[in-house]
Amino acid sequence: MKKLKISGDKLVLIAAIIVVFILFTLLNRNFLSITNVINILIAASLVGLVAIGHTYLIIAGQNDLSPGSLAAFSGVLAATLVSMGLPFLLACIITIAAGMVVGVLNAFMVNKIHLEAFIATLVTQSVIRGFAYIICGGKPIAISNKSYLLLGKLRILNIPVSVWIMILCIVVFGIVLSKTKFGRSIYAIGGSQEAARLAGLNPQRIITTSFIMMGALCAIGGIIFSARMNSGQPAANVNLEFDAITAVILGGVSFQGGVGDMGGTILGIILIQAFNTGLTMVNVPSFWQYVAKGGLLLFALTTDYIRKQRREKELLELSMKNL
Amino acid sequence: MEHVLEFQHISKYFPGVKALDDISFKAYSGEVLAFLGENGAGKSTLLKTLNGDYQPTSGKYLLDGAEKHFKSPHEAIEEGISIIYQERQILLELSVAENIYLGRMPVGKFGMIDTAKANRMAEKIIEDFGLPIRPDTKVKDLSIAYQQMVEIMKAYSRENLKVIAFDEPTASLSDSEIESLFKIIRKLKAEDKIIIYVSHRMEEIEEITDKVAIFKDGHYVDTVKTGECPQSEMIRMMVGRDLGDIYNNLDRNKEIGEVLLEVKNVSSDYVKPNSFSLRKGEVLGFSGLVGAGRTELMRAIIGADRMKSGEVILEGRKLNIHSPHDAMDEGIVLVPEDRKLQGIIANLSVADNINISMLDKHSNKLGFINTAEEREAAQEGIRNFRVKTPSPDKKIVELSGGNQQKVIVARWLGTNPKVLILDEPTKGIDVGAKSEFYNMICRFAKQGLGVILISSELPEVIGLSDRIIVMKGRQIAGEVSREEATETNLLSLAMIGRVEK
Repeated sequence: MKKLKISGDKLVLIAAIIVVFILFTLLNRNFLSITNVINILIAASLVGLVAIGHTYLIIAGQNDLSPGSLAAFSGVLAATLVSMGLPFLLACIITIAAGMVVGVLNAFMVNKIHLEAFIATLVTQSVIRGFAYIICGGKPIAISNKSYLLLGKLRILNIPVSVWIMILCIVVFGIVLSKTKFGRSIYAIGGSQEAARLAGLNPQRIITTSFIMMGALCAIGGIIFSARMNSGQPAANVNLEFDAITAVILGGVSFQGGVGDMGGTILGIILIQAFNTGLTMVNVPSFWQYVAKGGLLLFALTTDYIRKQRREKELLELSMKNL
Repeated sequence: MEHVLEFQHISKYFPGVKALDDISFKAYSGEVLAFLGENGAGKSTLLKTLNGDYQPTSGKYLLDGAEKHFKSPHEAIEEGISIIYQERQILLELSVAENIYLGRMPVGKFGMIDTAKANRMAEKIIEDFGLPIRPDTKVKDLSIAYQQMVEIMKAYSRENLKVIAFDEPTASLSDSEIESLFKIIRKLKAEDKIIIYVSHRMEEIEEITDKVAIFKDGHYVDTVKTGECPQSEMIRMMVGRDLGDIYNNLDRNKEIGEVLLEVKNVSSDYVKPNSFSLRKGEVLGFSGLVGAGRTELMRAIIGADRMKSGEVILEGRKLNIHSPHDAMDEGIVLVPEDRKLQGIIANLSVADNINISMLDKHSNKLGFINTAEEREAAQEGIRNFRVKTPSPDKKIVELSGGNQQKVIVARWLGTNPKVLILDEPTKGIDVGAKSEFYNMICRFAKQGLGVILISSELPEVIGLSDRIIVMKGRQIAGEVSREEATETNLLSLAMIGRVEK
């Protein structure tokens, strides 16, 4: 129904990405080297997977603060299972299933206890981080399984497999969001849950499915991350959700719900990851990186606010014209 | 001293609605000026733009020649402009005196609140008003009428009070209470206040007001002297055309078939057990005061609220409905009253809004939507219901209220329902679109649908229904046939639960 067209917001985002790339290339000539671009993509792969989940959840009017904990937990769990002698594939299946259970838990708190998603997932953020430490006794679990390690090292066409997985997920979930019944329902409940319910949709089921999806994506991301680190680390991925949410909001998804698409999220991921990698490469001290990231999130939220104001203003003008 | 409140070219737009259109007139002190107009004519909106609850899109207010612009009702009150609303705006847990002097209680030594002084000050006002209440009584222990008096006293206690407006003040008052309210209005009038009185009740307007400002569809029509203008003339001005014609010209030539829907003892947390039946091709009106439980009964039937008891039988088969989705699958659909929050999905296009209930129909097993089918369904809906939209891809919020409502109807008719429930379908819709809806309702009935029409507009429910059920206090109070249906019959059923012979 919709033609592929690039909106003004996306052009601004593309321009911002170009500016960031030019700026960091001027500061460090290696920034635009192939090795570094691939490094950016590798770093983006985990944030990217989580950002896919956030795209769904935030469009549906929800949110999730548990991905960082869940990714760390998943890495530790998979590493532990493999170290106990389970085949890698089986360990993956169990870990992903565990991630999905966490999704069910988040959805339960939102649907049945009627907690705000922000608060509900704050609960799981803490609980799951705790379990990440509990199952390994606080110490990282080293990985010796060959196929597990291969997941972190294997390259296809010189591009690491983790990046391929992210690209595959973005394509699949992007299509689901724009072309299917489920995707349309996500937008509808983000617009108005009550209207959607009266129109015959089942908002609670849609929310549950989205949280389960997010759980699976975090688990996959956590497994890949641990493979790259050669160990499952309970303290890893703190603030992962922070980067993912920043990317999604930069990409044009609105905290109001009901607005945004996967294309914007892709650009958001590229922007935030280039920004993060660039700061490290030009030797910005890590303490200041936190400040800079906060600034970027503030920028994203401000643009979200300005877009919202503009939508409302346009709407009023249009409706006046139609009278 | 004489005061003048001047409305200069006031306009107020909401998305999809032009609520006020270039309104200009004057109100003078020492007079009671009525605002008269149909529901949605703009009376309440005009008051809200006056006291800063809304900001006018254009135009200005002059009080004694000085331009006034308020950012909030609080600012308006400080400047001597108070509005007494239908819903009480007082704090039930506080005393009469505390409510009157809320936010400006007299302060004694060391900054402590001097309750005794507040009570003495309040006592004086209560005496002025001639009321048998004490200043230290908690407001929750007073009757609704006295609670309203407290609000009026609160406004009156401001020494600079110049304008006081009453928005349907008698809606929940008894006759003797209305009389004491009028006494106070006369007192305010004698003290040279500018008094605005919004009401639908012609007898009250006759009794208490000096002039009547008439509004129609967001326009100001004229101001007439109450005693000199016959009521029928005022009604003609406020309707602008003889509504009787609209109803008389409807095509109601149809056949009412066998029983389609039987509702037996259906109740929910919000409505008592109720039973009724609906035939094929019948338009069944539901009348009653706001809050009588009509919406709640329908919500229980379609599974929007949990059904606590009872059963719903469609074409002889007992249904098992747990959600609006189940009801839709069985062919029972509801066009909700609150179009903005429960009807339209604001972020979606016109086409997507039409198709949202047909997602199952238009998608394959994997859940992929067939866009060609959707486009066709959207175009068909737009054509059949004459939705005025530049394109199916327009956001639904860009359309006028009437067209948004047509989209919701198109959404449901696309699912081929057997029972169509319309909850206040013409609320906030202009007269032209209204008559289109009336024709549509008759057409649906003729096609064999069972139509349930909830409407608070008596002429509408009388003009369209074959049979009318009246609800009162969350249960059915009685039933009136088309032949017996008069406004008096329906109102007395709705208010006292029986028809006066």
